[in-house]
Amino acid sequence: MMEPVVRMQQVTKVYRSVPAVKDVDFDLMRGEIHALVGENGAGKSTLTKVMAGVVEATSGKMYYHGKEASFTTPSEALRAGIAMVFQETSLVPSMTVAQNLYLGSEAFINRLRGTYISAQQFLQSLNFAVDPTAMVETLGAAKRQMVEIARAVHHKAEVIIFDEPTASLTPEEKRHFFALLHRLKNDGVSIVFISHALEEALMISDRITVLRDGELVASGPTAEFDRDKIIAAMVGRTLSGALYGSQGQRRVRKPGHKVLSVQDISMGSMVRNTSFSVFEGQITGIFGLIGSGRTETFKIVSGIFKRDFLRGGQITLDDRPVRYYTPAEAVGGGIVYVTEDRKSEGFFETMTIGENFLGGHLASRQGGGWLVRTSTMRGLAEEWTGRLNIKAINPDARVVELSGGNQQKVVIGMGLIQKPRIVIFDEPTRGVDVAAIAEIHQILSELADAGLAVVMISSYLPEVMNLSDRILVCRQGRIVEELSPGEATEEKIMYAAVH
Amino acid sequence: MIFDPILDLFRGEAITTPPLDGAFRANTALDDAPVFATLPEVDNLCLHRGRVLASSGSGLYALAGDADPALIETFPAPVSALASSGDELAVGLANGTLIENNTPVALHHDITCITALAYAPDGTLWLANGSDKYGPGDWVRDLMEKNASGSVWRRAPGDGFERMAGDLAWPYGVLPDAAGATVSESWRHRLVRVEGGGARPAFPNLPGYPARLSRCADGGAWLTLFAPRNRLIELVLQETHYRYDMMASVPREFWIAPALSSGTSFLEPLQCGGIRIMGVHKAWAPSRSYGLAVRLDAAMEPQVSLHSRANGRRHGTCSAIEVAGEVLVASRGGGVVLAPEAGEAK
Repeated sequence: MMEPVVRMQQVTKVYRSVPAVKDVDFDLMRGEIHALVGENGAGKSTLTKVMAGVVEATSGKMYYHGKEASFTTPSEALRAGIAMVFQETSLVPSMTVAQNLYLGSEAFINRLRGTYISAQQFLQSLNFAVDPTAMVETLGAAKRQMVEIARAVHHKAEVIIFDEPTASLTPEEKRHFFALLHRLKNDGVSIVFISHALEEALMISDRITVLRDGELVASGPTAEFDRDKIIAAMVGRTLSGALYGSQGQRRVRKPGHKVLSVQDISMGSMVRNTSFSVFEGQITGIFGLIGSGRTETFKIVSGIFKRDFLRGGQITLDDRPVRYYTPAEAVGGGIVYVTEDRKSEGFFETMTIGENFLGGHLASRQGGGWLVRTSTMRGLAEEWTGRLNIKAINPDARVVELSGGNQQKVVIGMGLIQKPRIVIFDEPTRGVDVAAIAEIHQILSELADAGLAVVMISSYLPEVMNLSDRILVCRQGRIVEELSPGEATEEKIMYAAVH
Repeated sequence: MIFDPILDLFRGEAITTPPLDGAFRANTALDDAPVFATLPEVDNLCLHRGRVLASSGSGLYALAGDADPALIETFPAPVSALASSGDELAVGLANGTLIENNTPVALHHDITCITALAYAPDGTLWLANGSDKYGPGDWVRDLMEKNASGSVWRRAPGDGFERMAGDLAWPYGVLPDAAGATVSESWRHRLVRVEGGGARPAFPNLPGYPARLSRCADGGAWLTLFAPRNRLIELVLQETHYRYDMMASVPREFWIAPALSSGTSFLEPLQCGGIRIMGVHKAWAPSRSYGLAVRLDAAMEPQVSLHSRANGRRHGTCSAIEVAGEVLVASRGGGVVLAPEAGEAK
């Protein structure tokens, strides 16, 4: 029998006396794609971080090419041939794409032009349409992810761990990415593929391992699994119905007062004369392909971006024209934007949950001044941790130690603590496991039922179709179509998004 | 950032058009609606002695869903307005003549452009005079010149016409009640309330150019809009020199202006990627013509709307009436009278 490239035996990792991974056995064969699935907090990231030297196991053994190995740093693992592509990108924003690709492997003297040419050839070989001379800070989430993937491939690693690699990719980019995975596999590279998109795991992988609460609950060839079986193993119950029930059973909320009216706002070539309204007591779903300007539109509404100087359109809040120069002003007006990029824009990762909630509280100018009581912070933490069902090892846990779903709930809590009238959720369930998705959907529904105007920007069609009371489709910087849930089909929505 | 409040003074007023959402949410109700009658250039509808009457050119027709339109009478000029109450039938002609029960009525010399007629419950006749410069057929020129010379008149039974409001930008629909009348003012995209000598805004910022109004049994009303507002036309309306050059040098049917129908000539403005992409005619394209009928409640608030979108053909909706609980909509651009299910749009 073939020797596994990586074998992990009885691996346990304990954070503050709570096990994140418990006695897990995991094998990775040469030239296989091994999907690792599980709810947020199931221990997927921790297990792979042990593999990649990001964290050290508390107990258990790891064998690499048959020899016991224990990496203490990611660079040590990388030198040995194990690379990890993180869910949240770790690129240097102020450097170009090419410089990021060659970061850490530069020669003593570097010719920039040569670096760019080499990077261009390499990116083209991967079918990634990214300009190597572009500064990373100017790239969108999808292109950053591509650079991250390219960097891992560039190191010629024998084992590559992809943590949610497709979350921000378009369908076309995903196809290129999957083709790349097959190429790597054929070259003998072993791949660990962590994804919440179960269809992708079923389609691309050779084997699937399911973790639940830090323990291995199922592992075997992909042919032995289907979607329901994986979900049942992940959560111990069938969630499909709860997540995306049939449209006929759901209640469509009637529009309340028109709270926000946007007329012909423009911002360069990204947002072009777009007009729409938002009503209280409804979830307004926004669908659009990446680059359609949907995020930029709502960042203008929430004061993060500014619309064009001349003839940039008009935004009215309760029939009163408004022009916000900062997000704080928008918060004052009752508009809160919950970001799609939680790591960069959503929270303070090294602070505790309570400190983050306090940050949201202070941003809303309800804090009452510079002096803050610790009891206020603890009270906020207790209240919102309970309301949003945030699962943390302990109340003083730092946000960076939480799973993706719980981090997202912290970001949502930071927004809701500001007592908004309009909440804009940008990709609220991106990189979040299925159980947390259901909980976040429940939060959105409750907010709309409570009379708030909820805007949900999402790239995931079933989510848009099943959660929204009205669906707006964005294309080339403009809202082009509005559909009701009853008439919306995936084909109709995509037709409007493409044409 | 700190200069923004100062810079705001120099930003200029934004040209904006309201979105088609809420009660105006786009649908295909008019395009899906069954045809009640086919009549070229059908304009105004009214119910007279239980019969549906429609004007088309200089002819007055009786419509029945199961038969071809029957010509009742031909007038010396195109019919521009109709109204009926009991046995009374008023017909306005494009040459400024008002005929009531087959008898010409003497009008004030300022009334030259009859765009709408309506009887109040007490028999008072209300008349909308679109412009004092042009006749009803020259509405595009009146818009392009940005005139606001229209007026609304009232004639109490046994009395003469009296001016109720002036300086209106093409009043095109009038809906009288006991206290006054609601008037649609096309070039200002709004409904105004005319009471006791003067007009005040009642529903501003409509997403198109409003046309006629008609009363429903429950106290509400049907309002039609014959063309959409779009950014290009709004821009042209701000560019005075360009507009006058265009009017002087371009045939009228190809002006960048609202239209009752479009898409019939390759010389028309607003084509290329704005209208079609890869051969697909986009429903959300910024077209020059549109079909839209809006159901208003008794407070004149929009409740539901019926649309023929950019990729439809039933545009130029100038009149809608309720007959026995059902609505009939005249599409002048499409040359048909439609019997849509109003409930479908909900």
